[in-house]
Amino acid sequence: MKASVSQQQLAHGLGMVSRAVSPRSTLAVLANILVATDDGRLRLSATNLELGISCWIGAQISEQGAITVPARTFSDLVNTLPNDTVHLELNPATQSLNVRCGMSNTDIKGIDAQEFPPMPTPDIQDGIHLNISDFKEMIQQVAFAASTDEARPVLQGVSMNISEDAAVLAATDGFRISVRRAALSEPVSKPVTAIVPARALTELARIATDGDQVVTMVMPPGRGQVVFHMKDAELISQLIDGNFPDYRAIIPRSFKGTTILTTNAFLKACRQAEIIARESNNVVRLSIQPGGDQPGKVEITAQSEETGSSENFVEATVEGGSLIIAFNVRFLREVLEVIKTPSVVLMTNANNTPAMIQPAGDDTFQHVIMPMHLG
Amino acid sequence: MSRIEILPEAVASQIAAGEVIERPASVVKELLENAIDAGATQVSIQIEQAGRRLIELSDDGAGIPPDQLRVAILRHATSKLRTTEDLFHIDTLGFRGEALASIGSVSRMKITSRQPEEAAGGRVVVEGGAVRTVESAGAPAGTVVSVEDLFYNVPARLKFLKRDLTERQQIDALVTRYALAYPHIRFKLFHDGVAALQTSGNGDRREILAAIYGVDIARQMLEISFSDENFKLEGFTSPVGLTRSNRKEITFFVNGRWVQDSSLSAALLKGYHTLLMIGRYPLAVIFIRMDPTEVDVNVHPAKAEVRFRQPEDVFGKVQRAIRRGLLAYSPPAQLVSQGWQTQLPPLNQRFISRQIDPAWKMATETQEAPAIVGPAFEEGTQKEQPALDALPAGDLPLLRLVGQVGSAYLVAEGPDGLYLIDQHAAHERVLFEKWLRQREQSVPAQALLTPQVFQVPPQISGMMTEQLPALEKIGFRVEPFGPNLFRVLAIPAIFSGADPVAAVMVAVEDFEEDETPLQTELEARLAARICKRAAVKAGSVLSTEEQKMLLQGLEACKSPRTCPHGRPTMIHLPIDLLEKQFGRRGSR
Ligand SMILES: Nc1ncnc2c1ncn2[C@@H]1O[C@H](COP(=O)(O)OP(=O)(O)OP(=O)(O)O)[C@@H](O)[C@H]1O
Ligand SMILES: [Mg+2]
Repeated sequence: MKASVSQQQLAHGLGMVSRAVSPRSTLAVLANILVATDDGRLRLSATNLELGISCWIGAQISEQGAITVPARTFSDLVNTLPNDTVHLELNPATQSLNVRCGMSNTDIKGIDAQEFPPMPTPDIQDGIHLNISDFKEMIQQVAFAASTDEARPVLQGVSMNISEDAAVLAATDGFRISVRRAALSEPVSKPVTAIVPARALTELARIATDGDQVVTMVMPPGRGQVVFHMKDAELISQLIDGNFPDYRAIIPRSFKGTTILTTNAFLKACRQAEIIARESNNVVRLSIQPGGDQPGKVEITAQSEETGSSENFVEATVEGGSLIIAFNVRFLREVLEVIKTPSVVLMTNANNTPAMIQPAGDDTFQHVIMPMHLG
Repeated sequence: MSRIEILPEAVASQIAAGEVIERPASVVKELLENAIDAGATQVSIQIEQAGRRLIELSDDGAGIPPDQLRVAILRHATSKLRTTEDLFHIDTLGFRGEALASIGSVSRMKITSRQPEEAAGGRVVVEGGAVRTVESAGAPAGTVVSVEDLFYNVPARLKFLKRDLTERQQIDALVTRYALAYPHIRFKLFHDGVAALQTSGNGDRREILAAIYGVDIARQMLEISFSDENFKLEGFTSPVGLTRSNRKEITFFVNGRWVQDSSLSAALLKGYHTLLMIGRYPLAVIFIRMDPTEVDVNVHPAKAEVRFRQPEDVFGKVQRAIRRGLLAYSPPAQLVSQGWQTQLPPLNQRFISRQIDPAWKMATETQEAPAIVGPAFEEGTQKEQPALDALPAGDLPLLRLVGQVGSAYLVAEGPDGLYLIDQHAAHERVLFEKWLRQREQSVPAQALLTPQVFQVPPQISGMMTEQLPALEKIGFRVEPFGPNLFRVLAIPAIFSGADPVAAVMVAVEDFEEDETPLQTELEARLAARICKRAAVKAGSVLSTEEQKMLLQGLEACKSPRTCPHGRPTMIHLPIDLLEKQFGRRGSR
């Protein structure tokens, strides 16, 4: 292999794929990045067997070939190189990669590319095309609600439901659930349901640059995998096996109280309350007070034996009676952070029943949070 | 000194009975074994008031001829043994001819029986050892023995019975084990009319495991089998990630007989050598069949113990069988690279073999450093002593964080030397004291989106029901949801993010047989377990911020030097020790 690439692009590509490297694996080659010539471009790939990321960068190729090199060593080196052309050359006899740039000349010992787990090449003809920026927003609004508890693998995933003309993403950790719907610009031929690890989707949102326009999602039959293909990058993830909770059954049909708040003011109040609440299991109390003649308000209080106490008022339009309800403030903050509209609606029934948060005037995003009981 | 006299017959037989019949569960055991010896395919057991009021067992076995009923209840009356020779190759569960006589002498007992091939059956009624009536009677094929008012004539015995819940647990534990040992027999067990256990009798042991432990655990259990000449071992044992904090769920049957033998358990544990964490024990049901002449069953009045002629040989085989079984199921040490899609089992299967809580020390580590294992981790009965204020309020000096080692320990410097801090134990302590402070008010609970239903073994079920208020006090909302079923509606906020069912199980899996301590102590004990679960694990990399928080938390603790279970949270290396070790002493 003999190829020349721009240092900037190489550094960017390495940053992208390194997230899939598994440095502590028993399989040494998984700590490496595959560097290979591929159809006129240079391909970089890393995988931890659950998640694989590849990206392609423009290159001048004078000799085909492939090698894997330790991710850490290679990235650290490339990051210190000058913004210039990097010349890569494989020495097949020693299985080492010569990296030359400006005055610098380094040989990195590698492992034969044959040992790198082969990554499937999907047939993107069969795929579902999704608009990248829409899909990224969906992921951001949903993935954070997934569980991090390894004992419940299904909840570590995001449920993807794609029917003719709509896609629905949902994630829950058992205490809250985020559901986001979106219309598809072009209808799909066959419906798809799958549970994709939240971590994979978060990585996807990170590597997908808006300029890419479309991401094509392919599920090669019988593999238990999903491939997200973009122009210059690809992410492959194992799917999660199992039954996702039926969110239609979880989301309440009606609410007695509707409170409309300014998203930013509400978020700020929650952030402040969280500073105090951190020390006391994140508990905050919302006291929803209808205003009568004046505008209503929501009082947000937190109290901690150790840290102290905090009170915050947010003006609100309150329909329905007054209510005191307690929440995990982190749950509130996390959903408010992904709401894009200036106003947000908080819907409630009682202090021991689920509450729902929605962007005002937009019912494609629903987030249900269970309250806390204070004994 | 008073004169020596021969005891009256009634007193003598009551004393003898005391050896065999200790509590309601012993009656159930004897009746059950008789039914099995009679070749029953169905056994139904009715219990009232934990067996004090009534124990009734009906079977569809061979029955007792009417003219033998009167004989069957006599001491040393058995159809199963003729000569002393026979004693050395017993292949029935009964052989002494003592059970019915013993039961009859301490209760009001009625036996109704008909042989399937005969038209008429018979009935005998015995009260306190005296035969009241013997008559012919119509009856379904098989035998029904009903034992009422157990120990009504032996008040001393009655006094020694534990509370109903405990006696019930004993019965449940017994019947579930026999159900597992005899999967071809249909078992039904009712307490006061409510079904506690039902098996189908289709021979599928995993199905019975599911009825006892729930589908999840049943699915995880590893099937073991091993045989060589005159020795056959089969059964189930848990993967290394599925453990309990005591050995109660380790069961052995030898030639169809439940034996409680600590050397057999020890052999099984050896099979797990280095795979289990200290203080954790597997769940296992192991059935051994061997040449009856190789094992003496006549060593214990209740037949709970056996003596092997070649014990080392048996233990060795048990150990090897378990080890082999475990290794056969553990993932290959090295992944071979050929298409990465097929190399790992799907995500939801993988967690099964994962070590649930690496924070408990691995068994090997303790052998190297026994000093660190506190008394709380002694063999067997791991009594958790939440050291409320028991320990000296050893105030910590101000510590300066140096860093983290091995993703498990923090290194800190104090005015008097170096401190090595176990991050898990330390966090446990911090959480526990936080909980103690909160307890004055109320413990916040996080509600679940959808209640989660779960199953517990029958022997825990009663205990659960009784302890629901205690659980509620510490932030769990759990309610009964059917026989042996419960559902959890909310969990303590401290657990946020954890698997709710796992959280409940952590709190209840150790309910001791007689766990009726003061309410506050119970709560503290539950809380200690929860803290253990919620605490940051060894193996987690902590940010500098997090490390500092942990140190500060520890400094604020009343008893910072031990975890709530009494294990040390830190090791102190005084300056002079360091100096001595480096040979600097006196050089200045
Ligand atoms: N359910 C039953 N079905 C048929 N026969 C029975 C049943 N229960 C007892 N018998 C008969 O009554 C006899 C006495 O029973 P008992 O339990 O007292 O003694 P055993 O079973 O022979 O010995 P052990 O005291 O060791 O249990 C048995 O030998 C058997 O013949
Ligand atoms: Mg018997």
